[in-house]
Amino acid sequence: MIDIQALTFRYEGAEKDALSDVTLTVPDGAFLGIIGPAGAGKTTLLHCMSGIIPHAYRGDFYGAVLLDGMDTADTRLTDLSRTAGTVFQDVDSQIVSSVVEDELLYGLENFGVPREEIEERLSFALEKVGIASLRHRTVSSLSGGQRQKVAIASLVALRPKLLLLDEPTGELDPGSSRQIFSLLRTLNREWGMTVVVVEQKIMLLCEFAQRLAVLSEGRVVRDGSVREVLGDIEGLEEIGVNCPRVARFSSLLSAKTGRKLPVCVNVDEAEAMAREVTA
Amino acid sequence: MTDLFQYTPGTSPLHRMNPITKIVLTLAVCAAAFLTDNLFVLLFLLLFDLMIGVVGRVERKAFSIFKGLFKVSLFLFVLQALFVRRGNRLFWIVTDEGLLTAAAVVLRLLVVCLPLALVLAVTQVSDIAGALVQVLHVPYAYAFTLTTAIRFIPQFMEEMSGIMEAQTARGVEFDSKNFLKKLGMLLPLCAPLLISSVRRTQATATAAEVRGFALRTSRSGYRQYRFGAVDFMGFLVSAALVAGAVLIP
Repeated sequence: MIDIQALTFRYEGAEKDALSDVTLTVPDGAFLGIIGPAGAGKTTLLHCMSGIIPHAYRGDFYGAVLLDGMDTADTRLTDLSRTAGTVFQDVDSQIVSSVVEDELLYGLENFGVPREEIEERLSFALEKVGIASLRHRTVSSLSGGQRQKVAIASLVALRPKLLLLDEPTGELDPGSSRQIFSLLRTLNREWGMTVVVVEQKIMLLCEFAQRLAVLSEGRVVRDGSVREVLGDIEGLEEIGVNCPRVARFSSLLSAKTGRKLPVCVNVDEAEAMAREVTA
Repeated sequence: MTDLFQYTPGTSPLHRMNPITKIVLTLAVCAAAFLTDNLFVLLFLLLFDLMIGVVGRVERKAFSIFKGLFKVSLFLFVLQALFVRRGNRLFWIVTDEGLLTAAAVVLRLLVVCLPLALVLAVTQVSDIAGALVQVLHVPYAYAFTLTTAIRFIPQFMEEMSGIMEAQTARGVEFDSKNFLKKLGMLLPLCAPLLISSVRRTQATATAAEVRGFALRTSRSGYRQYRFGAVDFMGFLVSAALVAGAVLIP
C-alpha cells in the first residue's frame, strides 16, 4: 500500500531534516502504529504517506513515496486522497462545516458518492464512532473529544483504502479511545482497510496494532511486529518511548529468573506468566 | 454578539423557505428602503421586518438587534439633524428638513440591518452556500469562503478568550473596568491571534483539499433546494415591496 524509499524531508527554513533516510513498507491490510518521542517526525511521516507533503508544505524532498503504486510527488493531492484519508492532529482545523452532519457529507459529496449510498454511510459512521445523537448539533457547541469523533467519523464515512490518523484519541477519555481503536480494528479486519496510527497511548497500540514503527530524530529506529519491537525495552526507553508496564514486567521477570520469557502485551498474558513462573 | 450570526433551529415557514427566496426577499427589502424617501413606507418596512421576526419565531433576536442598533441610530440621528442645513429653522441650528432626513436615514439603517441578520437566524450558512452553488451556480470556492468565514467566528472568539484567560492567570488585568486600559492590553494579542488563524486557515485549506475540495461542482450537494408555495409567496411579497417603494411617492 505504501512504499517509502530513502525519504528525506526538510521543512523550508528548518535547520534540521524532519525525516532522514526513511525506508518503510506498509503492506495492504496492515495495521501499523507509529510511536516516538515528541519532535521525532511522526506527523511529518504521516503527511508524507498521504501526499500532503510535498503538496501542501514546502521543503526539500528527497527519495520517493509510492502510495498504492502512485508516486505522491507526481500525483495530484486530490487523486491521492481518493486512496488515503487523513485525520489531522489539530481537529479544529480539519473541520470545515458548522454542523456535524454537513461535516460528514462534505467528503461524500465531493468524491461523488452515489446519493442512495450516502445516508447509509453517514449513519454507519456516526453509529460506529458513537456520535449518532450529535448528528444535528453545531460543531461549536461540541467538546474537544466530541469534535475529534466527528473528524474521525467524517473519514470513516469516506471508506478510503488507507486510513491515516494522527493521535486520534488525543482528547478522548479511555473508554472512547478504546472504542475508536476497536472501530479501527473492525475497519481493518472486516473492510480490509489499511490503517496507520500515530499514537502516544502505547498500551492501545500494543493491543490493537499488528506492527509498530518507532521514530526517533527523523529516523525509523525500530520496525516490526509489536512483540519484536517490545522485546528491547531498554533500547526503547533510551529513545524516550514509554513502554507498557506489562512489557516491562515480563522483561524484568526474564532478567530475574534468568529465563528467556516472551514479551507480554496485555494484562492477561502477564498474569499467566506470573502464575507460571511462581508455580 | 457571537449569537448574532447563529442559527436558531425551527420549523416556521421562513425556516422551510428556499435560501434563495430568503436572499431575494432580503434584497427586496433593502432595495425598497433605498428607493423610497417616504417615511411611512420606511416605517411600514420596519414593521414588515419585525413581522418577519415574529413569523420566523426569532422575535427576541430581532428585538435584541433592534436594541443593539439603537445607540448607533441615536448618534446618527443627532449627527444628521445637526449637519443638514436646508429647510426652515425650527430651533437652534436644527431645521425641519434636517429632522426628516435624519429620521429617514435612521429608519433605513434599521430596515436594512434587520433582515440581513434575521436571514442568518433562520437559515444555516451551509444551506445558503449550498443553494447559491446549486441554484445560482455560484463557484464553490466563493461559497466555501462564506461558510468558512462564518464558521471561524465562534472559533476565533474561543481562541481569544483562551488567550485572555491564560494571560489573566499570569497576572494580566483583563478584568479591569477601564476600557482604554483594557484596549491597550488587548492590542498586543492581535499578532498571535492573527498568526494562529492564518496557520489554521492553511491547515483547513489542506484538510478541505484532501477531502476532494477540487472535485466539487454545482451538482455535488446532497441536499436539494427546491422551490415551493412558500417561495412563490416570498417572490410575490418581494415584488410587491419594491413596486410599492417605487410607486408610492
